[in-house]
Amino acid sequence: MGDLIHNLSIGFGVALSLQNLMYCFIGVLLGTLIGVLPGIGPLATIAMLLPVTFSLSPISALIMLAGIYYGAQYGGSTTSILVNLPGEASSVITCIDGYQMARQGRAGPALAIAALGSFFAGSVATVFIALFAPPLAEVALKFGPAEYFSLMILGLVGATVLAHGSLIKAIAMTLLGLLLGLIGTDVNSGVARFSFGLPELSDGIGFVIVAMGVFGFAEIITNLEQGESREVFVNKITGLMPSWKDLKSSSSAILRGTAIGSMLGILPGGGALLSSFAAYTLEKKIGDPSNFGKGEIRGVAAPESANNAGAQTSFIPLLTLGIPSNPVMALMIGAMMIQGIAPGPQVMTERPEMFWGMIASMWIGNLMLVILNLPLIGMWVKLLTVPYRLLYPSILLFICVGVYSLSNQPFDVMLAALFGLLGYVFVKLECEPAPLILGFILGPLMEENLRRAMLLSRGDATVFFTKPISGVLLGVAIALLLITLAPAVRNTREVAFQE
Amino acid sequence: MKRLIGLTLALFLAPASVLCGGNAVAQGYPSKAIRFVVPYPPGGSVDIAARAVAQKLTEAWGQPVVVDNRAGAGGNIGADLVAKSPADGYTLLMGAVATHAINPTLYAKIPYDPVKDFTPVALVVQVPNILVVNPAIPAKSVKELIELARSNPGTLNFGSGSTGSTGHLAGELFNTMAGVKMVHIPYKGAAPAMADLLSGQVQLMFDNLANALPNVRAGRLRALAVTTLARSPAVPELPTIAESGLPGFDLTTWFGIMVPAGTPPGIVAGLNAEIVRALDTKDMRERLEKMGAVPPANNTPERFAAFIRVEAAKYAKVVKESGAKVE
Repeated sequence: MGDLIHNLSIGFGVALSLQNLMYCFIGVLLGTLIGVLPGIGPLATIAMLLPVTFSLSPISALIMLAGIYYGAQYGGSTTSILVNLPGEASSVITCIDGYQMARQGRAGPALAIAALGSFFAGSVATVFIALFAPPLAEVALKFGPAEYFSLMILGLVGATVLAHGSLIKAIAMTLLGLLLGLIGTDVNSGVARFSFGLPELSDGIGFVIVAMGVFGFAEIITNLEQGESREVFVNKITGLMPSWKDLKSSSSAILRGTAIGSMLGILPGGGALLSSFAAYTLEKKIGDPSNFGKGEIRGVAAPESANNAGAQTSFIPLLTLGIPSNPVMALMIGAMMIQGIAPGPQVMTERPEMFWGMIASMWIGNLMLVILNLPLIGMWVKLLTVPYRLLYPSILLFICVGVYSLSNQPFDVMLAALFGLLGYVFVKLECEPAPLILGFILGPLMEENLRRAMLLSRGDATVFFTKPISGVLLGVAIALLLITLAPAVRNTREVAFQE
Repeated sequence: MKRLIGLTLALFLAPASVLCGGNAVAQGYPSKAIRFVVPYPPGGSVDIAARAVAQKLTEAWGQPVVVDNRAGAGGNIGADLVAKSPADGYTLLMGAVATHAINPTLYAKIPYDPVKDFTPVALVVQVPNILVVNPAIPAKSVKELIELARSNPGTLNFGSGSTGSTGHLAGELFNTMAGVKMVHIPYKGAAPAMADLLSGQVQLMFDNLANALPNVRAGRLRALAVTTLARSPAVPELPTIAESGLPGFDLTTWFGIMVPAGTPPGIVAGLNAEIVRALDTKDMRERLEKMGAVPPANNTPERFAAFIRVEAAKYAKVVKESGAKVE
């Protein structure tokens, strides 16, 4: 304990220097801005800013880049709630209930609860890193291919509860997502699958492209079709801040979301992403599910807390093992190497001022974000009063710029437009896009880990049950499946008996 | 955003160069922004080196050298883009062992010709891979590893960042030369492969020196040897695979700058001189040495071209003998 206080005091000493406070602020401000702009993510921004960091001190550079990353998680929820446009994979879930809240004139409370939940989650996760980073890294290492596969199965089974309409449609959308995820180079053989000879498809379709299409473009087409009906949800605005009732019902959701996010965030490879899906699933299972999908504030609070907690704890593998858990972390490694720091286990012991300085800066950054974001809510909500004929072309433009910035390819923009048309068809068929996104992300990861586990076991499929963690995860998945299916089975039986 | 502006600027100015182009080149070159295509995503070692060189060239010329990441298809997309760009010296490629030595024989068809479509300018760096094992493996040397692989055939796994990476082909070369059979486990990138090596899911890896070294120093991995013919100045105590029982074993990750074929020789020579000067600055050398990179000696376009030919022939043989070819 004494150690921890000593370490934290080193950390705050570094993070509270005027210079580092400034870089922290620049980072979170930039992060919020790019998070709000649809399509332009932290990845493209950090890539563009890499050369700038050459001239900074290593710790200032890292503080700023980290600020951009978690700042973007805050900002990402804004467009999800206001215009149904997830800028990040992790805010797909926020769209479901957040956008419904906005339609009911409750954009203010939704944004506020997202900011407050994120702040709470970020603060807790930061303490979590400070206390348990090294042992947690060991937990992350316990996850091999078999464990990942079983975790993904559990995630996919959980996805079926995401649908608030027909179960069959949810399963169909998940399967379609899996199929789309198959496009690209097969990891094992190196052969390009379903790429139709197009080199642009050889690495698969980017998540942002699909999300911008089925959410962004499709939403705009649908809105334009409905004419002026949008005015309604602006006129109904009741208040900017959440009511006491809102706070009460979301506080436990925030707690649960934080716990899930902190745990799953440490897993390199999709952990942070799964956390928002898992948090939403849990909320729907606990308590009254009837309001989910219709503007339930818990459906915003839980996933937003989870993704922010996950964003913080995903620094653990990077800082303790030098292993990046997502492409943004890989860029951070690049930034560290430019500065001549080899990211790895020694960073903590050889450069404690950097490790603890960064942790302290995360807490300060989260505080800055909540102070920055709460007053902005009024402004964001006002944005909804901008006539749609002006708003939608700007959204379209930003989407195109964002999609183009992914890999500087016009092909990607056209692909996003194509997914927009597909998304419009989904709206007409009343199919939810969220299960599709989950299938799209989890599908390739599942296949990869399944085949890797089988390669390692030399073709013995029992490993999935004999490895303890994997076995437990699969057991939970089967139980969840039975619980979900049981009522459906009972109903069919009743129908059968009636006849 | 800066990059976008640079790009639009470059596109806008492109026709102008066609008009006033001609042969009176080296003089007044460069007169506008140069596009420097990196066929990999930002943040990797190729990208870092490219950005560092770009910064030096920008300072030297007073013209922006804009890094343009065109990742995809193992580097083939970016390389193809440059192959089909005008040969005026305003489009550079950071070519690599993958795009110019491995992919041409690994893949049944690639969209460009690695020899005919490019003029090599200068080698930028060579980085050795190192053979690292999980400490749970009893082998303390390359000899003991070969013994272990022979006495327990089919039990050892080696991870790599992708099919066709130097890490993969190093393992295949090791298998062929030592007459053993270790199983290749491909990953999507070196990072997840490293995670599974640390946890012991896979037993060994031929990883990039800079990536693996921190975990070696922390005792989480055991380094057995470097893959190059000569020892690495970064870890002089580490033997080479060649001197530990597999004579002739030589494998290195390299990248260097190329331009489209047909670029006037005057421009190529000018570019080479400036790049060599940039690589020779003190801070640049330090930066590259930290990546475990070996600065190339006698760095002329001709030597670089000859080097690429030797490399391509070497990997053609490894790919053929190991059956790693992708149809």
